[in-house]
Amino acid sequence: MESIAADGGIDLFIPKTYDIFWSLVILIILAVFFGKYFMPKFQAIFDERAAKIQGGMEKAKKAQEAANQAKKSYEDQLNQARVEASKIRDDARAEASHIVADARTRAQSEADQITANAQRSIESQQQQALVSLQSEVGTLAAALAGKILGTQLKDDSVQASMIDSIIADAGQQDAGKPKA
Amino acid sequence: MFQGVGSDMLTLAASQPELPGIDDFMPPEILFQGTPFAMNRIILVRFIAMVVILLVLGITAARAKLIPSRWQGAIEWLLDFVRDSVVYEVMGELRGRQYVPMVTTVFLTVMVFNLCGIVPGLNIAATATITMPLVFALWTLFQYLITGIREQGLWKYLKQELFPAGVPWPLYIILTPIQLLELLIIKPASLTIRLFANMIAGHLLVAICLAFTQFYIIEASNHFLAIAGIGWFGLGFALTAFEMFVAALQAYIFAVLTTVYINQSYPEED
Repeated sequence: MESIAADGGIDLFIPKTYDIFWSLVILIILAVFFGKYFMPKFQAIFDERAAKIQGGMEKAKKAQEAANQAKKSYEDQLNQARVEASKIRDDARAEASHIVADARTRAQSEADQITANAQRSIESQQQQALVSLQSEVGTLAAALAGKILGTQLKDDSVQASMIDSIIADAGQQDAGKPKA
Repeated sequence: MFQGVGSDMLTLAASQPELPGIDDFMPPEILFQGTPFAMNRIILVRFIAMVVILLVLGITAARAKLIPSRWQGAIEWLLDFVRDSVVYEVMGELRGRQYVPMVTTVFLTVMVFNLCGIVPGLNIAATATITMPLVFALWTLFQYLITGIREQGLWKYLKQELFPAGVPWPLYIILTPIQLLELLIIKPASLTIRLFANMIAGHLLVAICLAFTQFYIIEASNHFLAIAGIGWFGLGFALTAFEMFVAALQAYIFAVLTTVYINQSYPEED
């Protein structure tokens, strides 16, 4: 305890020459070490790291942009394809309705043709029937008349003229009938 | 730790604890005695601390990689702390950038030097004589004077410091000498004394506790007193932990004040 009080405490506050000398030496060595080596070294590391991080971020940004670009072009293509597909579908639909309409008209005309043909053949057959009926009716009527009259019409010419007159009568009767 | 009482040791042993004293801070010269290059124990401690800093940080820097190891990460955390929480916090990035190396040097060196006080075998802070804090403070002094003159020119700087604006002129008769005193003496002296007195007080506290521990547990004839010795040891333990905190805190304060003083040398209204 005496030692605390011993010697003037003021000595503590008086720097000694050798102490100043060595303190300065130490300070200068440390300051040079920090200033010329340690801090620049770490500053370089910090800068490099920041550059790397920034570079990485820029790269990521570029990749993002490229991806967006790709996505956009893909979507564009998809849209285009969609539009094309719907156009093709419309075209096909129109084509189909054309084909159907064509087929329909063709069928119609064919049907008409067939109907007309049928009509014509009916008419001609009717005509034929009429003609053959005419001749047969004549013969029949003559035979009938012969039988009724009991007279054998020997003379063909008489026979023929008679037939003609009968037909003419029948024709006149036919023509006269609707008027009656 | 106890050189100061070395001569009394034999006579006082076992009757009185070997208490530390101010002689601890004025140890005898052990190398180059009597020359201006004499070295004592504290200077040797300083050299050891310096070599440790150079080796540890030098190897760390030499092996520093872009992707930091755990240790490099810890060092980088310290560097970030000084740069962001001390320098940029006080003066901003634009002004602060050029002072980061200096403040980092001051902070790391003062902290390691302070921590020597609790390293077994060294047992005294390398900043525990007035000289080491003084040279740091003088560095700060020169730095802020140079900054002031460079930023404002000698006259404008002196006018800002010695004749603060907005004061009635008769007051300058009192104010100017005080300002001058503050600029050249008080700022560096307060830096110096704050650090060095903290280290002295810390050393004395820890050393007293451990001296009593030693005395009560080992040297005292009455072994009942060992219980008291355990109490003293607990206190010494707590104070050692506290010294770690103070070591970092004083380094931080020194670094912050250095930054603040430099920042004051810039023109007040930008």
